[in-house]
Amino acid sequence: MTKFRKFGALLLAAALLTGTAACSGGSGSSSAPAADNNNTAATTPDAGTPAPDAAAPAASGDKKVVTFFHRWPNEPKNPIFTAYVNDFMAANSDIEIQMDCVLNDSYKEKVRVLVSGNSVPDVFSSWSGSFAENLVSSGNVLALDDMLAADTAFKDSFIESQVGPFTFDGKVYGLPMSMDGKAFFYNKDIFSANNLSVPKTLDELYAAMDTLKAAGFETPLIEGLADAWAVSHYEGTIISRLLDPAVMAKDTNKSTGEFTDPAYIEALNIFKKLTEYMGDAASGLDHETARNMFVAGEVPLIYCQLAEIRIINGETSLDTGASLGFEYDFFNFPSIAGGKGDQTGLTGAPEGFMLSNKAQNPDEAQKFFKYILSVESGERMTKEAGEISAIKGAVNENSASPEINRAVDMILSATSSVPWYDNAVEASIGDAFMRGGQSLAIGDMTAEEVMADVQNVAAEVRAANPQ
Amino acid sequence: MLFIAPCILMLLVFVYVPLVQNFVFSFESFSAFSQERAFIGLQNYKTLFGDKVVGTAIRNNIYYAVISVIFQVFGGLILASALEDNAFRRISPLFRTTFFLPVLVSMTVICLLFSFIYHPQIGLLNNFLEHIGLEALTRQWLGSSKTAIFAVIAMSQWQSIGYIMMLFIVAIQKIPEDLYEAADIDGANKIQRFLNITFPQVQEMFFVTMIVTVIGAFTVFNEPYILAKGGGPGTSSMTLAVHMYQSAFVRDRMGYASTVAVLIFLITAALSVIQTVAFGGDNTESKKDKKRKGAANRG
Amino acid sequence: MAKTRNYSRSHFGIGEGIWLIVLLCGFVLIAYPMFWTVMSSFKSYREIYDSVWSLPSVWHYENYITAWQKGIAGYFKNSFIVTVSTVAGVLTFASLCAFGLSRYQFKGNTFFLFLCMGGMMLSPQVCLIPLYKLLQAFHIHNTYWAMILPYIAFRLPMSVLLIRTFFLSIPKELEESARLDGCSAFGVYWRIFLPMSKPILLTCTVLVSYYAWNEFLFSIIFIDSDSLKTIPSGLMNFRDALQTDWGVLLAGMVVAALPIIIMFIFMQKYFIRGMAAGSVKG
Repeated sequence: MTKFRKFGALLLAAALLTGTAACSGGSGSSSAPAADNNNTAATTPDAGTPAPDAAAPAASGDKKVVTFFHRWPNEPKNPIFTAYVNDFMAANSDIEIQMDCVLNDSYKEKVRVLVSGNSVPDVFSSWSGSFAENLVSSGNVLALDDMLAADTAFKDSFIESQVGPFTFDGKVYGLPMSMDGKAFFYNKDIFSANNLSVPKTLDELYAAMDTLKAAGFETPLIEGLADAWAVSHYEGTIISRLLDPAVMAKDTNKSTGEFTDPAYIEALNIFKKLTEYMGDAASGLDHETARNMFVAGEVPLIYCQLAEIRIINGETSLDTGASLGFEYDFFNFPSIAGGKGDQTGLTGAPEGFMLSNKAQNPDEAQKFFKYILSVESGERMTKEAGEISAIKGAVNENSASPEINRAVDMILSATSSVPWYDNAVEASIGDAFMRGGQSLAIGDMTAEEVMADVQNVAAEVRAANPQ
Repeated sequence: MLFIAPCILMLLVFVYVPLVQNFVFSFESFSAFSQERAFIGLQNYKTLFGDKVVGTAIRNNIYYAVISVIFQVFGGLILASALEDNAFRRISPLFRTTFFLPVLVSMTVICLLFSFIYHPQIGLLNNFLEHIGLEALTRQWLGSSKTAIFAVIAMSQWQSIGYIMMLFIVAIQKIPEDLYEAADIDGANKIQRFLNITFPQVQEMFFVTMIVTVIGAFTVFNEPYILAKGGGPGTSSMTLAVHMYQSAFVRDRMGYASTVAVLIFLITAALSVIQTVAFGGDNTESKKDKKRKGAANRG
Repeated sequence: MAKTRNYSRSHFGIGEGIWLIVLLCGFVLIAYPMFWTVMSSFKSYREIYDSVWSLPSVWHYENYITAWQKGIAGYFKNSFIVTVSTVAGVLTFASLCAFGLSRYQFKGNTFFLFLCMGGMMLSPQVCLIPLYKLLQAFHIHNTYWAMILPYIAFRLPMSVLLIRTFFLSIPKELEESARLDGCSAFGVYWRIFLPMSKPILLTCTVLVSYYAWNEFLFSIIFIDSDSLKTIPSGLMNFRDALQTDWGVLLAGMVVAALPIIIMFIFMQKYFIRGMAAGSVKG
């Protein structure tokens, strides 16, 4: 911030300096416009910028400032967070919350930099699992154990299994706001019309899709493969089923990941086979269109996030016009014969908030932290955004549809939670998997070629992250 | 001296220092967020030559250049001379403005629009083809590695042809009237007039637009980045600039990305040098005008 | 632009007929998608999916209000601030520099001219990564400055060259008589050169606004915060949700495009003159 001011001043000085050369009569008026230009420019960035870069937020008046950083600049969550902040500030007139938000991918990078640097936001959102562990390793994230010990009611308000992915070396570093899972959603009407039951194994899934194909559904399964993350969700789940957990742990570590296990090639080939059921159209679709096709009843099967239930039910503010003309249900990705991983793990990890241990106003930050993680806030998030809250009692008959209540059961009964793959591996490896997956689906690359590319990238990552 | 100082300072700090720094960076390995940088010699350049994606990107950039020259430069010239023809005097202003409108619109907007046009389900293009009975031609325009880059290129033609056309219109309007009158007396038809007068007279503009178009084609970023979601599917519609972006900000190989930038620099610099050598360096209007007038007088 | 040619062969034959058809096809090809965008921006989500070609059955004017409220207002404000600041910066620095270059002969004059021209030919992409590092080092990454300063720097060369050419055409006598009246160098610049150069300054304003309003690459890389995004990069956020409200997005697209189109309509002359002189895209 100071350097920036100096720089601005330099420009200003340059402008003024030239102004002094003017002829006597016009000097006063003539230098003014140039200076004005610089002034307007110089003041505006300060006024409208809750930039997290700013090392220490200036206290505005007597208010105690808490910086809050999250990753939802979009509907429906952004208005809810804005409302949280406004309600909280109305109730606590001595506290000012400075909120900033950045979209997914840039959030991933941005929060890593901020947390490992000296300008940690006081309250910030984080994925769980290896992503959170990375942040914690900076030493700038507050361990919450003391706070939880002092307020057991707050501690007990969270679903225990969802706190685990935020716990490292026996200490809790974050608390979950929401949980999620990825499951196959199926059209119950079409399934029963074809005498199909829920497939338990991958072979049963193939068989079911073959039956559907024979019954006239050209594409029994659909996905928007143009969205790279949708590809990675498939890959991550299949890999977690097939791969030995020990190898998985080794490969998701930046310093040791080699990706040489033959199970990867098998996993990619399974993905390839699944894309063949999606038809040619899938490669050009985005996930939203694919989901609309499911909702319209054109395609009987789709791999979706449980957080999408609300959209599928048509409970958003948008009039999509597609009222569900059928009943649906969902099932976990089936088990794969011969797989060495957890066959009943559920892809989809909780997401939550963390606190900085460098906060200038730690008490106020904690107060806000507890506010956004209260049962009321969780209920609101569930009701208005279809989020599956990880706070006990927030998802209930009143706040959520029966499907979301069923989704909670599904998440809670899963034997393990598998992190989103693009978060689990290093960004460049994730990119290689996603782009490779797209090329694989359209027949531009073979599974072996994709893995060769992944291995090359992994070698670079290892080189850049020596043990 | 004082007058030019602020300007020179800006240019040095934000253009020339970064330019030089980029060369330094291309011999290093570093991450976007750390201050440490490691010197690794020619390693990045070795990677560059072995990088299959660079091959794809250059191929796509060449497609871009060739198709853009054909459609924008030749198409733009023909369009301009047609609109400047007396027969279309009445409608020409409306057409001119319409053809030029897409130039004014931000690439983000154009790309979002074309993501509709190419949409496999609700897209205007497939829908239109079905309407006129050409179902066989419907495609996954952006979903197939064979068509994605061409779908992107087609959008660029749609957007930019009006720009080149406008440049040619300006050039054609500067052609002295008497040349055409003389041709009319000789009984030349419109094609002869185009070949013997219009084309030679706008030759310089022709060359300038060609260089501008080719440089544009080798630095294209927005179109494949937005419309083809970062050069997809896979890496099939990657261009050099998108590859640089991906290397730097997705894969966090800042050093390697700088090396790709060096490649872009070398290509565009070579093209710029050709332009400068051909036109004596001063690319300002007055000089070109003088030249053009001189040429006209001689003709 | 209004000048029309008056040669004899202007009769309308078969050749002209074919050309007219070709031109009309081109017209439809270019005009229809733009018309479609405006039309669909009044449609509901459902209608955009279900009836692509038809006019809206109900005109959803509220799409515009929703788009405005859902973020376009903020992006619009940011675009406005960045564009105005960039124009102000470019005009100030470029006119001063052009004045210096056109009125004084000093050592290195040609060198600076060369520096300007080189800057014009350089593609901004080449400087992307060092600029990113530089902005971080200045601690102005993710502020308005991160856009304004590079925009100014990369628009300066062309503007300097344009303005310099114009300044060169201003007669020396004017300057000399002002000097005799006791005006300083800056006075000459401020009282004589600037007022006389309105046309070229307007041309620069138009060209720089066009660039700053539509710039995309720098704005997605140098800006993270949603609250600072300009329209081109902000629109991308609209698309990235699990569910895209297409009617509202289309309305946002129309709003994004309007200012420059309106500017073009009112300042067509300056626009085209500048583009022809600059011959540089984007």
